[in-house]
Amino acid sequence: MSQKSNSSLKQQLAALDEILDWFDQPDIDLDEALKKFDEGVRLADEAKHKIVQLENKITILKQKFDQPQ
Amino acid sequence: MDQTILQVSDLLAIINQTLEYAYPSVTVEGEVASFKVSKGKFVFFDLKDDSGVVNCFMMIYGLRQPLEDGMRVQVVAQPRLTNWGKFSLTVREVRSVGEGSIKRAFELLLAKLQKEGMFDKQRKRHLPVMPERVGLITSIESAGYADFVKILNQRWGGVEVVVADVQVQGSVAAQQMINAISYFNQMAEPPEVLVFLRGGGSAEDLAIFNDEYLTRAVASSRVPTLAGVGHETDTTLVDLVVDVRAATPSNAAQILVPDKTQLAREIQQKQKRLADQVQSSINQIRIVVNQVAQKMVKEMESALAQHYQRVQQVELLLRQLDPKVALNRGYSLVRTKRGKIVKSVGDVEVGESLKIEVSQATITAGVIDVTKK
Repeated sequence: MSQKSNSSLKQQLAALDEILDWFDQPDIDLDEALKKFDEGVRLADEAKHKIVQLENKITILKQKFDQPQ
Repeated sequence: MDQTILQVSDLLAIINQTLEYAYPSVTVEGEVASFKVSKGKFVFFDLKDDSGVVNCFMMIYGLRQPLEDGMRVQVVAQPRLTNWGKFSLTVREVRSVGEGSIKRAFELLLAKLQKEGMFDKQRKRHLPVMPERVGLITSIESAGYADFVKILNQRWGGVEVVVADVQVQGSVAAQQMINAISYFNQMAEPPEVLVFLRGGGSAEDLAIFNDEYLTRAVASSRVPTLAGVGHETDTTLVDLVVDVRAATPSNAAQILVPDKTQLAREIQQKQKRLADQVQSSINQIRIVVNQVAQKMVKEMESALAQHYQRVQQVELLLRQLDPKVALNRGYSLVRTKRGKIVKSVGDVEVGESLKIEVSQATITAGVIDVTKK
């Protein structure tokens, strides 16, 4: 998995939080609420799927650090 | 046999050459006495034991820890004769030995750096949440590194970890770490956080994390720093100067990344909250719709009742105007034979037959006389 996946995961989680915040406002349009709900469910499903898929990548630098870089 | 006559300086040069050949480097342990720094550059002290003493000289930049009289140290040095014929050790490296000296050196440096504000809370930066690029400064042979990677992989994914494999103990360790800090900070795309790792060890093992230059290098890193050095009970200057201190290397991984199982649970809870929110919105709208519908029904019922009452009133009125009602009361309705209702004398003539309608019958009668009232 590339690091971009982790980045998009952060965006998905932020978007999900934004949707939850949207529902805190007093007057909610039902059509809009249903759209937001669908979007929220999609984001949550994708995020859950992604976090089990992501893998770390470890690179060990070849250079020695005896000399100032 | 002729004896070669040497000039003094030649003698000194020969002896120094011999010393350099025989003892290119010696490590000597002893107690510091007569410590002084001259012109802010030159360090002089004596190293002594119960029965001997030797002069030592070094440049201040080579001294990476505080020194004071009475401290027990090991010096790595080269023996030589000075131009004044005085035997001296030219010291390259000094390190405290013994718990007391290490502790004292630590305390002196701690006080000095504290005075400079290096450990102030307001200097501490937050670590990035879910970092994508992490720089690791550690030995890949160390148990600390293995612990860190294990916990990191258990908890999270999607992190690119770049490892600077350095020594984490011994004389070159501090400088290697300083160079690694500089390397990461100068990268075109530096990591989001620098992590220092080392497993537990003795006070001597961890002493390099009390190195003044290393501490300063960590403090000046543009990249935020996290340390997981030793065990929870060991505190080094690097621990104090980093932005965030972890108790152990495993704990550093826990601080660095979220736990995916926990996060999945949180997402699940958010999803449920979302469903609850929508349901609640629907319920609210349902309540409003019901209220409106009830109001409409009430208004319609009220309007109908009003109309019904009016109809009843009209009906009553009509009933009262019905001629049959008058007939029932004993009145009669008189019509000519053409069916025209008789209303005045002009409507009838003598001899004409008339139809008289009473309540239950119709009577045919003749007009005998017409008298005007």
